[in-house]
Amino acid sequence: MEGKIIVITSGKGGVGKTTATSSIGAALALEGKRVAIVDMDIGLRNLDVVMGLENRIVFNIVDVVNERCKISQAAIRDRRIENLFLIPASQSDNKDVLTTAGVERTCKQLRKEFDYIIMDSPAGIEKGFENSIVGANEAIVVCTPDVSAVRDADRVIGLLYSRSLTPKLVVNRIEPQRVERGEMLSHEDVMEVLSIDLMGLVPMDEQVLISSNTGKPLVLQNDSKAGQAFKRIARRLNGEADLPIEVPAHKTSVWSKISQTFKLK
Amino acid sequence: MLKDLIRKFTGQKNTKDTAKKRLQFSLIYDKLEVNDTTLTDLQEDIVAVISKYFEIDKDALELKVKRDDDTSALVFNTPILHVKRKPA
Repeated sequence: MEGKIIVITSGKGGVGKTTATSSIGAALALEGKRVAIVDMDIGLRNLDVVMGLENRIVFNIVDVVNERCKISQAAIRDRRIENLFLIPASQSDNKDVLTTAGVERTCKQLRKEFDYIIMDSPAGIEKGFENSIVGANEAIVVCTPDVSAVRDADRVIGLLYSRSLTPKLVVNRIEPQRVERGEMLSHEDVMEVLSIDLMGLVPMDEQVLISSNTGKPLVLQNDSKAGQAFKRIARRLNGEADLPIEVPAHKTSVWSKISQTFKLK
Repeated sequence: MLKDLIRKFTGQKNTKDTAKKRLQFSLIYDKLEVNDTTLTDLQEDIVAVISKYFEIDKDALELKVKRDDDTSALVFNTPILHVKRKPA
């Protein structure tokens, strides 16, 4: 059976696309699937360093697309998680170096060799974005609960629809206390504004920065709330579509219980 | 929590409600924006159709999107030079 290509995108930069890509990919591999994570941010690669594989790069995705090497030569095997591979971006080329036809051909090959291919799209909606969605079977849009991320997500959702992809939403960096205080959009607000279905909710988590400092997979940190949320997203992608979506919450104080009872919000 | 109470009784709004409302408006406006190529293409198509029936002054015509607070209209304005008679 052919593998599935899932593109992770957002429009706006800095909302957690790379974290989402590496975590969802790692979690799918932990589920026993053969996974390739592909960094499509040509010229500004980051997945390698976030995943702690920066010292092992030989070939990259541009070499694969331009047929200078085989997929197996460019795919770096993660030593901590079995069946997890990274195909890094090129750091020296610019975004226009890839042709649509070349990317399409590579996507076909990737689908033969892996169960899941997770594409990390660059920020923006230019050629790099187009290249990252050209072979996609599914799309996930990541956004944070702020006006600029939501607006950019809307634009990207529109573009995905026009390519016959029906994206699902991951709301990242939710701070339950601030949502409760009414100073942060809730996931319901974001879903309503974007009229889109949810794939998962990820709380703000200090562990994300810590794990990227050391290049260790977030999903291996059992005390990481974000890591656990990404694991559940991976299970939903991998056949458990009905797995309930947990809403991030903080320990409720007496006061907040009382105010909830009286619907003060 | 005390702030919530004060807000509740003074009718003050949460900032996230303001954010939501602003987003909803801006997304509607974003979608009404038409880019120049679309407008030029549309103009060429309209001229082609109208030219089947009328002879129009192509240099004097104008096509624009007019926006009011809650409506958006496409305005096409052209002088007619002749009506083309079709053979019966």
